[in-house]
Formats: sequence, C-alpha cells, structure tokens
Amino acid sequence: MWVYEKKLQFPINIKNKDLRMAKYLVTQYGGSNGELAAALRYLNQRYTMPDNRGKALLTDIGTEELAHIEMISTMIYQLTKDATLEELKEAGLDTHYTEHNKALYPTDSNGMPFTVTYFATTGDPLADLAEDMAAEQKARAVYENLIDLTNDPDVINPLLWLRQREIVHYNRFKELFEYYEKILNKKS
Amino acid sequence: MYNYNNFVNNYRQNNLDYMNNMFDYSELNNNQNMNLFTPKEGFEKGNLFMDLYSEYKNYKPRKLNPRNDQERLMLEINENLFAAHELNLYLDINPNDNSMLALFNDYRKKAEDLKKQYEQLYGPLCITSDVLNNSPFLWEKTSFPWEGGNN
Repeated sequence: MWVYEKKLQFPINIKNKDLRMAKYLVTQYGGSNGELAAALRYLNQRYTMPDNRGKALLTDIGTEELAHIEMISTMIYQLTKDATLEELKEAGLDTHYTEHNKALYPTDSNGMPFTVTYFATTGDPLADLAEDMAAEQKARAVYENLIDLTNDPDVINPLLWLRQREIVHYNRFKELFEYYEKILNKKS
Repeated sequence: MYNYNNFVNNYRQNNLDYMNNMFDYSELNNNQNMNLFTPKEGFEKGNLFMDLYSEYKNYKPRKLNPRNDQERLMLEINENLFAAHELNLYLDINPNDNSMLALFNDYRKKAEDLKKQYEQLYGPLCITSDVLNNSPFLWEKTSFPWEGGNN
C-alpha cells in the first residue's frame, strides 16, 4: 500500500503564469514519456521480476514516479491558476478549457489523452528493463527540450532536478539489466 | 511476544537456501569506489552519486534559499530523505553493501527525527503523526503542497 506525505519531493514555487509552458509541460504528466506512464510501467512490471532486487527497485522507482507526477501537476497548476479566459484562448488552451476548465488532465502537449499503450509489460525481465532504460532516456530528452523552451528559473530548476532523476533511474535499471543478463543468459 | 530475532534468522536461512539454488548473488558493485555528494549538494542537484551526475548544457542548479525557519527545516528534511532514498535505490540492487547500508540508516534516522520536530511545530506531514492527537483535525487545516504548503 501507499502512505501520502503532505509535501513535494522537491520544492516548487512558480511566481509567474506561463500558459504556453503549461501546455508543453503537460506532456511529462500524460504524454508517452511522462511520469504517469513511468509509474504505471514500473508498478505493473514489478510483479514478474525474477527476484526481490527487481521487485524492490521497480516498486521504489515506481513510487518515486508518483511523487514526480505531483511535481509536474503542481507546476502546471501554478503556471495556469491565475489565467483569464482570454489568455487561455491566446495560448490555445481554450480546447482544454472546454472539457476540463482549469482542472488537471493527463494529455500530451498536443492534447492527446493518456493511454496505457504508452508502456508494455512482457513478463520477461530483460525485455521489460530494456524498455525502462529507453523510457528514462526519452524522458531525459523531453526534459531537455522543455528546459530549452523557457527562461523562468522557477521552472528550469525543478526540470533540471527531474532530468537528473531520469539519469539516476536509467543507471539503476542498467545495473539490474546487466545483473539479470549475467544470471539468466549464464554469461561469463 | 513477537520474536524479531527468530524472524530474522528464519528469513536469512530460507532466503540463503533460495538464493543459493537460484542465482549467483555476486555483487555488481564490489570494490567500486562510490563518490557521494553531501545530502545538501545531492538534493540541490537531484543526484547523490558524483559519477552519475551530468549537467545539461551550461545550466547549474540554483542554490535553495529557505525564506523562513519552516522552509529551512523542511529543506533539511528533504535533503536527508533524498539521500536516504538514493541509497535505498542503490541498496535494492546491492543489498550486501554494508557501508552504504550504514549511511542509509544515518540519513533515514536524521530525516525521521527532523520530521517529528517539524510536525510538532508546523503540523502533520503524514496521517500517522502524533500531532493529530490535537483538535481540530490538523490534516485538513494545513495547506496542500501545490498551494505552497510544506514546501
């Protein structure tokens, strides 16, 4: 089970509204390389890992991804909360407003709703972990694109921090992949 | 009374039998000299492991400047929780690294102590907190993190 901690993993205090940035940023919530896909990917794959190392790592990284969903959601909320309808229209968020008003909703930056087809489970630890390594690299690349799209240090700093988490997770998955590869394929 | 030592001994024996039958449990990171940032530096960067850290272009993480005592204490909690979490992920796949386990426990205990102090002063972080003995129900009274609460 999970227990909620009433705090963010890393502080976020965005002072200036920026609707364009919110529109781009939402992809790290509900896009193909976003945090929701990451959490669901690892938390579904963990059951069929061959030993407790895999089960532990996927549980703990999957749990951290839930905290990242909260960080991205907080950023989107703070970037949009003071927007007028005119400003939403100007930024192209009127189409979001139609269905959701200012509520959070997991989509990519083009408004495509989240789908579980963004991740796979195969029951094969090497296949699953290879996907996980790729997912972390793709999420890192998206964070870099997002950093390129803003000048606001209140936004850049948490994005740099989240980018770094992708690098750490990638390396942990890689270590586990290499360990299973050695055992399962009896490589010397 | 619950005998914890029996649990640990049985667990160890069962698990060792299981492990010996299944896998070669040699350590991947044996003899690897791990260079760690301090919890403060690691938290600012989002990475406790010097060897894994790589910057994007010329961007540097901003120094975190707490604006008051509450933010200062929360920052210290976050730094220690983060360091413990980084070592948690490492220990998941290197469970026999005793020096990292000792360090994990240092940060974990520090974070737990600081959280208790914080909750006494500023309200509950978790629904298991003892400060919830007070009336009214403090879980509902303190701000949520997206509104700037406990940040």
